[in-house]
Amino acid sequence: MEYFLNQLVNGLCQGAIYALMAIGYSVIVGVVGMVTFTYGEIMMIGAFSAYYIFQALGNNLPLAILAAFAGAFLIGVIVYKLCYEKFFNAPRHISLLCTIGISMLIKNLAQIVFGPETKPVLDVIENRTFTVMLGGIRLDIKLLQIVVIVLVIVLAGTLTLFFNKTKWGIALRAVSQNKDAAYLMGINVKRTALIGNCIGSGLGGIAGILLSIYYYSVSATMGGAYSMKAFAASVLGGLVDIRFSALGGLCIGIIENLGIAVSAATFRDVFAFGFLILVLLIRPQGFVSKKGVRV
Amino acid sequence: MRRNRLWALTMCGVAAFSLVACSGGTGAGTAGDGGNKVIKLGGLAPLTGNYAEYGKGFQIGWDMAIEEINGAGGVNGYTFEIEVKDTQGDAVVSSNMATNFAEDEDVMAILGDFTSGACKANAEIVDRYGIVQLSPSASAPDYASMSKYCFSIMGRQDSEAPYLARYILDKYLGAKKIAVIRVDSDWGLSCYDNFIQEADALGLDVTVEKYASGEKDFSSLITKMRSIDPDVLVVMDQGDSVAAIFNQADAAGWDIQHVALGPGTSEQLINQLTDPDNLIVTSPFFFDENDEVLASWAKTFEERAGFAPTIHPAEAYDTVYLIANAVERIGDGEITREAIQQQLDQSENTGITGELNFTEDGDIIRNYMICGVQNGEWVVLEGFDYVNE
Amino acid sequence: MEAIRQYYEKYKLAVYLILFLISVIVPFAVEQALILRYICTIMMYATLAGSLNVINGYSGQTCLGQAGFFCIGAYTCAALTKNVGLSFWIVLPLAGILAAAVGLLVSLPTLKLSGIYLSIVTLGASEIIRIIAQTWTPVTGGALGIKQIPYPNLFGLELFRPKYYYFIFLAIGILFLFVTGRVLRSRVGRAWMAIREDQVAAKSLGVETSRCKCTNFMYGAFWAGIIGAAYAPFVNYIESSQFTTDTGFNVLAMVVIGGQGTLLGPILGAAIVTVLTETLRFLENWRYVIYAIIIILMMWVRPQGLLGASDSILAGGKIRRKQDRQEGKRK
Repeated sequence: MEYFLNQLVNGLCQGAIYALMAIGYSVIVGVVGMVTFTYGEIMMIGAFSAYYIFQALGNNLPLAILAAFAGAFLIGVIVYKLCYEKFFNAPRHISLLCTIGISMLIKNLAQIVFGPETKPVLDVIENRTFTVMLGGIRLDIKLLQIVVIVLVIVLAGTLTLFFNKTKWGIALRAVSQNKDAAYLMGINVKRTALIGNCIGSGLGGIAGILLSIYYYSVSATMGGAYSMKAFAASVLGGLVDIRFSALGGLCIGIIENLGIAVSAATFRDVFAFGFLILVLLIRPQGFVSKKGVRV
Repeated sequence: MRRNRLWALTMCGVAAFSLVACSGGTGAGTAGDGGNKVIKLGGLAPLTGNYAEYGKGFQIGWDMAIEEINGAGGVNGYTFEIEVKDTQGDAVVSSNMATNFAEDEDVMAILGDFTSGACKANAEIVDRYGIVQLSPSASAPDYASMSKYCFSIMGRQDSEAPYLARYILDKYLGAKKIAVIRVDSDWGLSCYDNFIQEADALGLDVTVEKYASGEKDFSSLITKMRSIDPDVLVVMDQGDSVAAIFNQADAAGWDIQHVALGPGTSEQLINQLTDPDNLIVTSPFFFDENDEVLASWAKTFEERAGFAPTIHPAEAYDTVYLIANAVERIGDGEITREAIQQQLDQSENTGITGELNFTEDGDIIRNYMICGVQNGEWVVLEGFDYVNE
Repeated sequence: MEAIRQYYEKYKLAVYLILFLISVIVPFAVEQALILRYICTIMMYATLAGSLNVINGYSGQTCLGQAGFFCIGAYTCAALTKNVGLSFWIVLPLAGILAAAVGLLVSLPTLKLSGIYLSIVTLGASEIIRIIAQTWTPVTGGALGIKQIPYPNLFGLELFRPKYYYFIFLAIGILFLFVTGRVLRSRVGRAWMAIREDQVAAKSLGVETSRCKCTNFMYGAFWAGIIGAAYAPFVNYIESSQFTTDTGFNVLAMVVIGGQGTLLGPILGAAIVTVLTETLRFLENWRYVIYAIIIILMMWVRPQGLLGASDSILAGGKIRRKQDRQEGKRK
């Protein structure tokens, strides 16, 4: 029991990072109406922006988060201009392939510019463990895990406020739901989509820095595996709904870790994708309750 | 649509032609300076991809040895040249490149590749074409026996892994309960198989978990291992995962002795660890600052590469000398692939990495020592003679 | 151009015969084995891309998981020839059938789904197939892969050199083109294209869209399985990392660069991509940068692919007039 609860804590923390990735991903998919395969590279750019801040200015976490957001935001602009702007009314496979191309471009340029080796990101957050006694059950929680979870909750909260209370956020939601109607309401659809795409990318960048702190390293090829997880999590949540996407991320994190707890670590992705297909078989639209949210 | 079809045929033709034309160009270039007194070697190395650092090391090690030999006037009037191809650490690419070298009659021997997996994939090819594949780094015990043309000077897992069990875990640390986390690969499997035989003989209590290559999150594995409360945590891998596992164990507040099999005395590993001083590794070789030859070799290497050498480039350097020695022994005879294989098979040499005497299979048995980290520097904890104490 | 076309009309058989003769002579004319290996690789990818094209180009579903079917074929062949000792020629169709069966499994959930969800399921299925190959050690060798896969044996002749292997790929390629050409002109093929152009209209005209989509998936998967089975002995060594989603994307890029919905497009795409990545090898990482730029440029300048018609629905065009459509189908 103690063992499973500790694994649950691991799963929660990993799920929290997945959730943040999935939130960013759904924001992008929502506003541009097309999936993206550049998300892993956007996270990587965010992580590297932060890495160079750590190198230059020491371990200043808030500043690094800002840098990661800004770096990923800029890449978001490029991705938008190259992959989406021209192709809103074209067949979907065109922008899909564009994002695959951009992903390949960024990944290989990064290997040339940053170097192919894995770079260490150490001592950003102090190595400390809190032990919690829950009715005789001993839980070990890392400071790092607490920081990650708190950060994700704060960001998700801020985003929810932004979406519901500000003019920009409401415009973004409108575009996400129906582009034509939003256009008729006098919203500048293309500019809103650009900003939405960049905000989603920025969140991806922050997820990237959390990954690099959590795993003590950055490398140019780190994006690939995570972009698939972000993708899977946001599909679970119905692709465009940020709350359900976050839930999807949490589920995948927990299921992976509990799965490893009872079997072997080599099965990690079997659990993640097996769960995804299982859910899709029962509910093709993901967790989202209303039908017809198909992009 | 018809017009399109015609266009397609033309385009296919153009594409095929350009492929042939391009290759024709490069083929002529290398054959042209083949001359009568040059021995050409083929080098396989992962210059890009996950193992790029090692591949670059290979390239520089080979170049250093060839420049030295040619600078000293060559061997029996022969000079050497090497053409290095990038295999990306990918067995299929490596096979393509090996076929290319094997088909090129000017190439007398192949040096490389880095991973045991790629070397084993090439074994069939070099055997059929009858050309030596001399790897500086393949350590799988079943590699060299695959063909009489397969050689390696890394030292086999069936001596290093048992050494780890007997001398580090049992004798040096006096551990009883061992947790092993290993990468799921050719290399990882053969490490573990050899390790567990010795560990069983010693009566060690071993628990093992494996992970897929490229895994980043080890927190659940660590929680799993921690729940059995072992004395020592052993990691068997060569890449970045070694640092990732130890760092995540540290972060979980788990105070345990770290032992690694695979990375050797890598400088990069020290930089990646949060607590390097807690690490013990096996190593067949150590860059001793007091040894003038080694120290100056390491210095030259570092100037050219921009990073400190591990054992791998030093072994790459030695492989060129092994071929040169074989050529020297052939003497006035004709230099053929077959002759090099025969001379290599019987060779007894000493390189900068120690004695290089091939076994019947075509690999060598190395001796090991115990190395650790003190204040961010590698040190020898116990030398070669620890085995006899 | 028009003159050439008429000439081609007139001597169609002769043109095919000459092409066939040229392709037979190639392995004897090309000296270097490496070049022949590349040509073999092109032919392999051409068939694989062709099989994906049947799904993406002709029925308009976006399958991202062709690497998975390819993987099944390769592992079926490797496991059965190496561990059971069956002949390559028996295993070849078996691999295709197994891949088609999995294709059916994958297509079942996609009946309920559309658009991007379908792509996601195919992508996920491809990953799961790869992970099974990576973890099912007794059959697939797990992370170690399968090495020293036996070469095909034809009347006592071991087909080990690229020179002989060339003919296996050539035969499969020609067979694929011939059969697919026939199928596309049949009732089934027309139904696929009808679904691509307008699913609702096709349904209202009595096309059983679900069943057609299933057969479409199975047909594409079948050929991917066959070519996978031929691939395994060719490289002699397979492991799960050869069948990642990147492999799938690469094949997709070939189809799109060549032109979706055309029989010859994938061949051209495979040739261009292979020649490009091999001749630019000396550029190390830069070659992928160049490849990526070409993909993006392609999507901007000619999204229907080099051979696609500019008024195709795949290029963002509207549904063609009835007259044009008949013209298109008769080709």
